[in-house]
Amino acid sequence: MTKYEATIGIEVHVEVKTNSKFFSASENRYGKSANMATTVVDLGYPGTLPTINQEVINQGIRASHLLHCTLTKKMHFDRKNYFYPDNPKNYQITQNRTPIGRNGFLEVETDTGLERIDIEEMHLEEDTCKSAHKGRVSLLDFNRGGVPLIEIVTKPCIHTKEAAVLYLEKLRETLFYGDISDCKIEEGSMRCDANVSIAPVGSKTLGTKCEIKNIGSIRNVGVAIEKEIARQEALLEKGETLEEQTRRFDDQLGDTVLMRVKETGNDYRYFPEPDIPYILLEEKEIQSALETLPMLPDERRKLYLARGIQKINVEKLLANRTLSDYMNTFIETDLDFVIASNLLLGDISSYLNKNFMQLEETKLTPEKLLDLVAKIKSGELSSKNVKDILEDVLEKDTTIEAIMKEKNIQNITDVSFVEELIQKVLLENPASVQDYQDGKDRAVKYLMGQVMKEAKGSINPKIANEKLLELLQKTR
Amino acid sequence: MSKYLDLGITEIHKLYQEKRLTPTQLLDEVFARLEKNKELNCFITLRKEEAYQEALKLEQEEVKGLLWGIPIAIKDNIVTKNVRTTCASKMLENFIPIYDATVIEKIQAAGMIMIGKTNMDEFAMGSTSETSYFKAPKNPWKTTHITGGSSGGSAAAVASRIVPLALGSDTGGSIRQPASYTGLVGMKPTYGRVSRYGLVAFASSLDQIGPMTRTVYENALLLNVLAGHDVKDLTSSSREVEDYTSLIGKEIQGLKIGIPAYLVSEIVSPEVKTVFNHVVEILKAHGNTVELVDIDYLKQAVPLYQIIAMGEASSNLARFDGIRYGYRTAKEGTVDELYERTRSEGFGEEVKRRIMVGSSLLSSQKAKLYYDKALSIRDDMQASFLKAFEKYDLLLAPTTTTAAYPLGESLQDPLKSFMDDVLVIPANMAGLPALNLPAGFNQEHLPIGVQIIGAPFEEKKIYQLASFLEQELSLDLEGGKCND
Repeated sequence: MTKYEATIGIEVHVEVKTNSKFFSASENRYGKSANMATTVVDLGYPGTLPTINQEVINQGIRASHLLHCTLTKKMHFDRKNYFYPDNPKNYQITQNRTPIGRNGFLEVETDTGLERIDIEEMHLEEDTCKSAHKGRVSLLDFNRGGVPLIEIVTKPCIHTKEAAVLYLEKLRETLFYGDISDCKIEEGSMRCDANVSIAPVGSKTLGTKCEIKNIGSIRNVGVAIEKEIARQEALLEKGETLEEQTRRFDDQLGDTVLMRVKETGNDYRYFPEPDIPYILLEEKEIQSALETLPMLPDERRKLYLARGIQKINVEKLLANRTLSDYMNTFIETDLDFVIASNLLLGDISSYLNKNFMQLEETKLTPEKLLDLVAKIKSGELSSKNVKDILEDVLEKDTTIEAIMKEKNIQNITDVSFVEELIQKVLLENPASVQDYQDGKDRAVKYLMGQVMKEAKGSINPKIANEKLLELLQKTR
Repeated sequence: MSKYLDLGITEIHKLYQEKRLTPTQLLDEVFARLEKNKELNCFITLRKEEAYQEALKLEQEEVKGLLWGIPIAIKDNIVTKNVRTTCASKMLENFIPIYDATVIEKIQAAGMIMIGKTNMDEFAMGSTSETSYFKAPKNPWKTTHITGGSSGGSAAAVASRIVPLALGSDTGGSIRQPASYTGLVGMKPTYGRVSRYGLVAFASSLDQIGPMTRTVYENALLLNVLAGHDVKDLTSSSREVEDYTSLIGKEIQGLKIGIPAYLVSEIVSPEVKTVFNHVVEILKAHGNTVELVDIDYLKQAVPLYQIIAMGEASSNLARFDGIRYGYRTAKEGTVDELYERTRSEGFGEEVKRRIMVGSSLLSSQKAKLYYDKALSIRDDMQASFLKAFEKYDLLLAPTTTTAAYPLGESLQDPLKSFMDDVLVIPANMAGLPALNLPAGFNQEHLPIGVQIIGAPFEEKKIYQLASFLEQELSLDLEGGKCND
């Protein structure tokens, strides 16, 4: 047990999913050639003025709702003034005094139960442009300049790296499923910074904090926090005083390294952005923004569990948004979600992965899936049958019936017919029946083979097996 | 040579319609006059070749509205595609924009011909046009004197009758004050009436583009073209545009006119007061009520203006850093050195002074003390104005405390030009429309103006009163002598 307690605050920036940028009509899309999604407004050209993309405001309303924040109904934007080459106007349009959401939270499931992570505030702002350095030359790509961002800041209320990681996972899942952001850390659409300080257990004041910037994965946030706590502990143990630093996480090193020592009072000279009037959010506008929210992760979990899917498969479905969304199109039907999720997560996913395909590129229609699952459930199709016909189901326009006919699959599920057939086999194989009665279990396997042979594969093996055992037991 | 340029726009229009005059012929006169009056230094950049090309193109089509084929001068802080836009600064000495301001698109659509870009105070910061990197323009009434500013080049170009029309911009009197010094009609419209898209920002919450002309009627005609909502400017009003000429010539009687008491106090010189009192007498003689009215915080208007304007300017001018456009230092170094050298070398003294003061005013300890407080007092001042308009149709005040003074006089004292703007600044602070009307002369025969201030979007009413006074006063303003 250590004698220090860590206090952690997390700041996350996510790029907001919209068609165009925040303050200009430029396209908001990742991966275009450098400076091809750029207008005079993004370049901070003299005389240009910002416009407002209403879609960003709507996303802000949705995000505020998802993070259980109090929505700021009268808000404005502020200018954050600082000189940097990736900041074309040398001020960033952000929200300093009236963040769109305040006092929210997310709940995470830790080993010791539900833990509530308090969110101080979330605000809307514009992204900077991207710079690249080649030798003595620096290059600027303004495609990212002006892309809408949401910054989400927790209170300094986290005390373990585990809780920090769980919070980030929950946040990512929530914003991703809320269609707020695609939250791809590798593409920079989600960026995490952590503020870490330690103080003796029981201390009323917080220690000197260090900020760790732009950590490349959620897992590494955990590593970075762990290393940072250890670094600070070691220094304090040596009797040294900590200084306020900005550090970054080095992937190769697996540790944090110093970027700069913080100078006191970085003064951004915030003031209300005079080019954008106050924004008043009307109740109608708020409601219509919330109407379009997709089903959220926890709601999905509840639904899937209620329809009998096992917990492990529920999580697998949630990890695959496309499949989860697809499943949800069947909510109103009597589709057996257990069989369907097994199919989708199993054979169908393997097929898609092998062929580098998306579900919507296959010939699987909703009707076909419903039919397929119904036939599996009734026993008309065995799991072996499914493996045999799956390629055809996904590649051909024909119905399941037609494919079964073509493959000569005809699982007779008529129980009396199956019984008749088994009785016949038992009569023809008295020796094996005797073996069974003598307790030789392998006789069952032999008899089952004879039954399937007699039926030429056209009966459901599962039903046949059950029936065979039942009839054998009666002979005892 | 006939002096078509001395004719009114309606007369020129008639000659165009009757095919007795072509835009090309009028341009010949413009450029001949320009050549003979070079010493006035009205223009920074001329657009001669393109202007003639446009004239020829116009001649292929039918004569359209009243402003079709009329030459116009544009203040050099309004962005013009493919035409150098300097803001009278070394920083933008070679800056050629790739887009047009909204007002430029509008004047082109109306068939006006842009002659060139006019001289001004650097980034519109000044009241005499002497902070221009291209040297000050001169007052056509007396060339040893200032034109006023910051729209000094536009004022001199219209007053010397080189062009009938010009665009200026007014952040703290920059249209009305030079109009007063050069005997012109100059209107600062209601904040939000004219799009600011493409106006290089000085103080965003105060800036407004407006028309500078020889007569009230022509001023209203030009505002008809400029006004309107622009989706590219969130601060532009979506209120419907009216015909600003519609009340011109309508009889004035029984108007209630207020005079903000502080604006006629001892801060105003006797020569200006004499002219002003004469105007008041005319109004009274025609059955109008004229009374003094108290408006809150007028005494503090100048320091309030300085805090807001310089604070905003320090942020607006941050983008001039030598990285994407404009001047860049020749000396290599780190990024911070690039910023420092580019901005030290590219900006003039007054601009640097205002950026420094503005940055200091916005710094965290002072922002609450100064900027926030200034914004809230501005709201109170505006409320006080609006209350006055419940009782009065219009407000009347002098535009300037004196007539134009000699070049060089204000350079000794950076505060002088600010204090001179004490009469024009309140309209900007309250976002109100205000117009300068030439009202008389001092003993040196230099023009002196009065200012009519209206409630928001009451430009029409301002023009009605201005036009009435214009007729009653019937001044000979041809004295804005040019060499012909």
